[in-house]
Amino acid sequence: MNATITTLMHFGKRDKKPRFRDTLRSIPIFADLTRRELAAIERILHKREYEPGERIFHQDDPGLGMYIIESGRIGIETDDAPDNVGDLGDGEFFGELPLLDGGPRSATAMAKTPCRIYGFFQPDLFSLIERNPHLGVKIVLSLASIISSRLRAANERVEEMRRLLEASKKPAPPVRKKRTSRR
Amino acid sequence: MNNPQTARLNRWLVISGFGFFALLMFTAPGVVKMVVLSALLAYIFDPLVTAIELRGLGRTASTCIFFLFVTSACWILFLLVSPLVMAQLEALRTGVSTEQTAGFILRLQAVVRKNFAFLGLGNVDLAERIQEIGISASGKIIDFIVEEGPTLVVYAVAVPFMIFFLLKDGREIKKALISVVPNKYFEFSLDLAYKMDVQLGNYLRSQFLDAVTFGVLSTIALWILGVKYFLVIGLFAGLANLIPYVGPVAGALPAIAVCLFDTGDITKVFQVVLAFVALKLLDDSVIQPTLVAKGVNLHPLLVLLAIIIGGEMFGILGMILAVPATGFVKVVFQESLVTLKKYGFRED
Repeated sequence: MNATITTLMHFGKRDKKPRFRDTLRSIPIFADLTRRELAAIERILHKREYEPGERIFHQDDPGLGMYIIESGRIGIETDDAPDNVGDLGDGEFFGELPLLDGGPRSATAMAKTPCRIYGFFQPDLFSLIERNPHLGVKIVLSLASIISSRLRAANERVEEMRRLLEASKKPAPPVRKKRTSRR
Repeated sequence: MNNPQTARLNRWLVISGFGFFALLMFTAPGVVKMVVLSALLAYIFDPLVTAIELRGLGRTASTCIFFLFVTSACWILFLLVSPLVMAQLEALRTGVSTEQTAGFILRLQAVVRKNFAFLGLGNVDLAERIQEIGISASGKIIDFIVEEGPTLVVYAVAVPFMIFFLLKDGREIKKALISVVPNKYFEFSLDLAYKMDVQLGNYLRSQFLDAVTFGVLSTIALWILGVKYFLVIGLFAGLANLIPYVGPVAGALPAIAVCLFDTGDITKVFQVVLAFVALKLLDDSVIQPTLVAKGVNLHPLLVLLAIIIGGEMFGILGMILAVPATGFVKVVFQESLVTLKKYGFRED
């Protein structure tokens, strides 16, 4: 009975929207946005559904923007590592770099299970900046912050590897032979 | 895209929609004219609504404010111009009457009788013939207004209505059309749509701005020269300028005719011709290179063919819309080829 009343109360309401808005909020790019701003973002997203084995994009294709996974699993692979670089699931996102530079895709993305994903593309971001600069700047700043933290992490990794390399080049200290005392 | 069945259904719906539109082109060209005109105007006005949106308003509110402004401006213009237009129509209907004009016609008649007698024009009565033509032309204009009145009213109501919804929901309509594209071609179609949007928007807006500039300059020139009905003739010249080659001549002809029949002063006719030649030179060398998008260069033969086909299919409005429509088709092909090369579809 209670279930029926609840169903009736929610009849016609789009119950999926709030859930997806939570997914959006969990993405670092949109984390600082207000409810109204998230609704504005939702309006410009493109919803797509993919069957298992279907390609979302191919490595070296011109990049247009990023995708957010609402449900399903996406496999990421490169031509050098065709056996899957990684798997992404619900609430995760991929392909965000072309949002800024529109450069070619660095990997191939393929649906592993039935997927529902949302595309957020550079021309829509530019159009958003044009008509709502405040929101546009917020998103671009978040993107810049994500990329700068990745750059910092990459720098640290490079530094660490450089140290390791230098350490491996240094000649090993001569091993002292133990004096055996003659008694 | 939704699940495969829904996707297939949506695709068929869109294909049927395009098929229906193509069918309408032949069965009800009036409707197609209305839709094309509304779409072009919505395209031209879109940045203005976006500029209002920049103030922090929603799309619907911005569209409403834009419409309120445009409607008020049109209404004020109508109140100002309609008495003038009616007076001009009335003047046309009553025919040529000034002494100067009569003198000019008599002189012209003498020349024609003397030099063209061998063509059977030895006893021609030019004043009567010109009056007949004038009365028949003004009668045709009035007949057109009476016969086409209901259609004009439908246009006056339907076109703004369509423009309103195209401006308000244009983005959603584009998104809905893109959503039916199969996954494999989705990013390609989206990329193509965005590029076409930019190219086409620039092209149409620049054409519109060029027509407005030419119209305003013609009006000022005719006002300085003291030509009667300078406002209507100037506006017509601006509109006619949208039709390449034919337009500038068609725009100058009414001004020349008015000068001839109003004053009969040949010097003034020369001044008007000179003004239009100077304006056309200014348009070709300064206005067009500054305003009109460089990406859409149409071959003169293509333009001429487009004008003839547009005129055959949809009359004067077809001639005006022919060039932007051809520009649209060229942008579609051009961008499709460039984007197709970039994506180079591979077999999955």
